Amino acid sequence: MDKNAKSPFSAIKVVECGEGISAAFGAKMLADLGAEVIKVEPPGGDLARRRGPFPDAKADPEKSGIFIYLNTNKRSVVADLTRPEGRELLAKLLADADVLIHNVPPPERAARGLESAALCAAHPKLIVTSISIFGDTGPYANWRGYDLTVANAGGWAYLSPGASPYPDQPPLKCFGSQGDFQGGVHAGMLTLAAYMHRLKTGKGQAIDVSEQECIAAMLEMNLMHWTYAHRETSRLGSRLLGPWFIADCADGKIFALAVEEEQWKRLVELMGNPEWAGEELFKDRIARGQNQDALKALMGEWLSQWKVQDLYRAAQKRRIPFAPVNTMRDLYENEHLAERNFFVPLEQPGAGTVNLPGMPSKYARIKWSLRRPAPRLGEHADEVFCGEYGVARDRLNELRKAGVA
Amino acid sequence: MADLPLSGIRVLDFTWAWAGPFCTMQLAHLGAEIIRVETTARPACVTRLIPPFADDVPGPNRAGYFNQYNQGKRAITLNLTKPEAIDIAFALVKHADIVTDNYAAGVMDKLGLGYDKLRTARPDLIMISMSGYGQTGPYKGFVGYGPPASAACGMFFGTGYEGGDPGEIGISYPDPNAGIFGAFAIMAALTHRALTGEGQYIDQSQLETALVLMPEGLLEYDLAKREPERHGNHDPVMSPHDCYKAAGDDEKWVSIAVGTEDEWRNLCGAIGQPQLAGDPRFKTAAQRKQNETALDQIITAWTKARDRWESTRILQAAGVAAFPSMGNKDLAEDPHLAERGYLVELEHPEVGKRIHAGIPWKMSGTPCAVRKPAPVRGADTEDVLKSLLGFTHDRIEQLRKTEVLI
Repeated sequence: MDKNAKSPFSAIKVVECGEGISAAFGAKMLADLGAEVIKVEPPGGDLARRRGPFPDAKADPEKSGIFIYLNTNKRSVVADLTRPEGRELLAKLLADADVLIHNVPPPERAARGLESAALCAAHPKLIVTSISIFGDTGPYANWRGYDLTVANAGGWAYLSPGASPYPDQPPLKCFGSQGDFQGGVHAGMLTLAAYMHRLKTGKGQAIDVSEQECIAAMLEMNLMHWTYAHRETSRLGSRLLGPWFIADCADGKIFALAVEEEQWKRLVELMGNPEWAGEELFKDRIARGQNQDALKALMGEWLSQWKVQDLYRAAQKRRIPFAPVNTMRDLYENEHLAERNFFVPLEQPGAGTVNLPGMPSKYARIKWSLRRPAPRLGEHADEVFCGEYGVARDRLNELRKAGVA
Repeated sequence: MADLPLSGIRVLDFTWAWAGPFCTMQLAHLGAEIIRVETTARPACVTRLIPPFADDVPGPNRAGYFNQYNQGKRAITLNLTKPEAIDIAFALVKHADIVTDNYAAGVMDKLGLGYDKLRTARPDLIMISMSGYGQTGPYKGFVGYGPPASAACGMFFGTGYEGGDPGEIGISYPDPNAGIFGAFAIMAALTHRALTGEGQYIDQSQLETALVLMPEGLLEYDLAKREPERHGNHDPVMSPHDCYKAAGDDEKWVSIAVGTEDEWRNLCGAIGQPQLAGDPRFKTAAQRKQNETALDQIITAWTKARDRWESTRILQAAGVAAFPSMGNKDLAEDPHLAERGYLVELEHPEVGKRIHAGIPWKMSGTPCAVRKPAPVRGADTEDVLKSLLGFTHDRIEQLRKTEVLI
């Protein structure tokens, strides 16, 4: 394929509003396929610009790692949507956009001209994808939430860390911003589904993504423990199967797991067939889960003699699904990820080379790429508003002085 | 039936366990016909084998895990150890838009069902392989599951209580995550096909789909050469930000997160201590972060004096993000989720009506719905082979006897 050929996705024009992770990630998923994304930031800039991590841990809104990650391939304009002039600028962008993705909370939408029904009525071909904590409808629709709220409202934190060694400690949120990321990837997927529908019918529509529901759909079999067998589950109790634990090796930690009986047999061989492995306490995977403390103590000495990478390879050679508890450095130095070109170096003006996590799925034909660095706040206002949408330069300058653009 | 985004799209689904079926369930929600391929010749799909079973009576059609993640699909049995079964699978591909698998790398090729072979049956085929580590690279043959992927992607390293060891994360999150990214990738490939006419192969690594969710940790190392520290439920910037104990001795907790100065003042007022907003220990986010232990003690004293829902209602009424830490019973009985139509209760032939998690989105123009409960094993074998391949009843019976359709 011609390297300079335009991506077929470049026909999709996306406008992104809101702040933080969810909408930005949904729009990034489309931008990385080739879609044209215009990011509309509030005058103070997207709050992700203030979150970091920053080079050398020095805060700078043009160098935030999370902002750069989420906003490569996009152009930035500023419009204060709480003011009529700002909403006029947005209306110009929406007039020929295919998609609006945003995460403005439901109670704040009317004041910003972002109510789905009104937008769909004004722009019948537009796909309006909104992401919120609790969805657009229902008794909690107007409630406030952050990622911690989603982790708890969706039922994940209550189960975490699982078989907790610290029963006095509270339910535990997973690292990062997983509720927001799930809102984003669901929004990206559904936007493409709606786009295909529009290719067939010419019609746009509104999509309502609830982060609480996205997470509640990911709880393994926990919901059914209640609806099938009337059992409540929590972060306490024992593991369903064993061995299943984080263990200390000579130079780091490994996650020791054998879920199939065959895997356990091969693990016993790898351990040199110790006599205790034949005991009743460890007779099957369920018993090994229940008696995991004893198992862990017995396996401990053997595990501690290994280096993590040696044990990882020795176990995997026997198709035993161990994995290292990788640090960030381990991941950047990982030979497998290097060979698959997972990390993508990006020249970000002012911040230097940033090595970004790359494509989640390798397509044979779709050309996934990071084509341009993340934008400075409002970097493309002239190019977009004056160059492409017919706003007079004087008018834009007036709006700038008034703090609208 | 309303025209849905994937109406008329057929998926031949070779996935098993959780990641793959979670992917194809999204496609079913969006209107695709999913034909799930199973066999009794090898140990059944793990999700049919492990608890919870309906009323604790085991049985492959009674498993909640299977019945949750296979809603809306059809199911056939096909014993892929038999050459005739491979021929049948190949013949079915002619009628499929999409083939999905989540075997370890190379397994589909060995079966004679690799992409290069299948595209001869259907040149614009879209095929996705969702393996643990991807189809290339030194670890391509490694065995992957969700929990070790959580270790490998750095989530265990970043998760844990204040100052403690790396912790587990409670669910096998990289599995449904690989599924949802797989659904995105299929949607991208379908869009590409609609715009260009081309099909394609997609190589998806579970590890990599988890790593794209780790930018805060990864970039802290890349930009500042620091590893992320573990801080329980605390946030690097926001404070207060934790899960607090509610009244009583049982496991009831309420999460509270404050991200703006307005929210902070509102919280102080709502808990009846407006003077805290001016307290020099807590005036700014940075000061609250510095004195977080003292702040958490003050908030815990308040949350411990009341029910978690009472705390939630008081704080939400004041514009503060608070919510109970929901357990499985809480979710199944939640009025908000019920009112949104999220909880789905369809009549299943063996387990009757049971609440399942439904569709976490709404589309105004193409209203998605869970159209049928998960299939019992082999429910659609006869119908699929008759309607798509023109098999007769006698031929199907013969193939059952020779253990091809088991």
